[in-house]
Amino acid sequence: MSPQCPNSDLFSQLRSEFPIFGTHPELVYLDSAATAQKPRCVLDAERRFYEEHNANVHRGSYALAIAATDAFENARSSIAGLLGVASDELIFTRGCTEGINLVAHSWGDSLAAGDEILVSTLEHHANIVPWQLLAQRRGVVIRPIPLNAAGQIDLPAYQALLGPRTRLVAITQAANATGTLPPLAEMIAAAHAAGALVLVDGAQGVVHRADGPAALAADFYAFSGHKVYGPTGIGVLYARRELLANLPPWQGGGEMIERVSFAGSSFAPAPQRFEAGTPPIAQAIGLATAMRWLAALDAADLHAHETGLQHRLETGLLDLPGVQVLAAATPRAPITALHFAGAHAYDVAHCLDARQIAVRVGQHCAHPLLAHFGVSSSLRVSLAAYNTTDDIDRFLVALGEALELLA
Amino acid sequence: MNPSYPHHPFGERIDKAALQTRLEAAQGWEAKNRLLVQLGRELPDWPATLRDDAHLVSGCESRVWLHGEYVDGQLRLYADSDSRIVKGLLALVLTAYCGQTAEMVARFDAEAWLQTLGLQRFVSASRGNGLRAIIRHIREYR
Repeated sequence: MSPQCPNSDLFSQLRSEFPIFGTHPELVYLDSAATAQKPRCVLDAERRFYEEHNANVHRGSYALAIAATDAFENARSSIAGLLGVASDELIFTRGCTEGINLVAHSWGDSLAAGDEILVSTLEHHANIVPWQLLAQRRGVVIRPIPLNAAGQIDLPAYQALLGPRTRLVAITQAANATGTLPPLAEMIAAAHAAGALVLVDGAQGVVHRADGPAALAADFYAFSGHKVYGPTGIGVLYARRELLANLPPWQGGGEMIERVSFAGSSFAPAPQRFEAGTPPIAQAIGLATAMRWLAALDAADLHAHETGLQHRLETGLLDLPGVQVLAAATPRAPITALHFAGAHAYDVAHCLDARQIAVRVGQHCAHPLLAHFGVSSSLRVSLAAYNTTDDIDRFLVALGEALELLA
Repeated sequence: MNPSYPHHPFGERIDKAALQTRLEAAQGWEAKNRLLVQLGRELPDWPATLRDDAHLVSGCESRVWLHGEYVDGQLRLYADSDSRIVKGLLALVLTAYCGQTAEMVARFDAEAWLQTLGLQRFVSASRGNGLRAIIRHIREYR
């Protein structure tokens, strides 16, 4: 066991909490940045809701509906508590992508032509395209924040881009394609000093117990449930209360209104104003369960476990010829992106799949970032709490043999 | 003068029966993978000048270049990819279609054939898309 990890026994036991590894005992799952596997408690929480409390929320006057509403709102306050923010600052969405699109509409449509949004080159398309669509609607100018040669945010260039027309900085907490952790504290402080707001894409942050919106002082913070051991179809958008108070709704329907007449409608306060229609109730409860499960792990132990595995992986890679780790010199989340001098990443992934080793290959919805490194595709290994040294060792052996076959 | 498409043995010296024998001898997914890589090596690379957008088949995870034309009623087909495994798969496709008449090309069920060869993985939803795009392309040659 790795010396970096004092609690490796604890983590090998933790793996047994994930039913998927019982179904597929030989599975080496190294694609957690795409979606994490789910612990049994999350699956149980969703099932229990349907079996014991299922009713629609915020509209029933009977005991079951009140219980369902309580369970749903308790999920919200539980997540808010873990993030260190207030419940009414937290909107349930379908996922991180929807959260960013919500901001781009509700807040973005208040912008004027010529206003500027800085978007980093580390971003997933979900934090690029909504701003481009806003630019088309409003004549807002998108300015890409460049990277330095190492693949990290070019801080001086970023500071030079901040100006009187800068209204928002859109930045990831960890680049999904390379794992790079941008210098968020400096970037957020500089944005605020320039009078701009900051949206942080926390999709790859929450799962590794990175700082939440309160610690970061982010104005908007979005993430997906399914990447933090929770269900699909649920996500969270945090927005500061003062901002939310003035934001118009972006989707209309039930649950988000106070009164409707054909002369006009008045809208409910936040967060309901932004949750049109029946929300993903069981998924919200599942997500709260997942986040409590994650919070129960010791953050330092989790960090030591995941970075210990990443270290083992990258040390092992040094023995293999023609393997390049993208953005290797930048501080990174437990995500390692590989480029091969002598083989197509697709072929390598295909060979790994024959041994039940699951990795992501391609451009990872981050074309600008891959273009920065001048590569057309890469193979991404992403780690989570349930991974083991055995996963890493099997990956390294299979990778070595695949590269030999394809050479 | 235009550079010419490199000559390959698939559909001529190597026919469907020969391939079938080799694939059946490769037991298990890993062995089939190995064989695909080997077949890919038997398919010569195109010159860089032909690997252009005009020949590119979109909808594949890796890049695939394709050219086909009918000479005396028989399809002449050439293909290349930057992926070795896809090249192996292209070798199978070439074997199935090269020298065939337009009527045969329209009628041949390549997906079913690949399934019988134990390569159903390539026909499955996400990976199948690339293969389907290639076959659609081949059927459009006139």
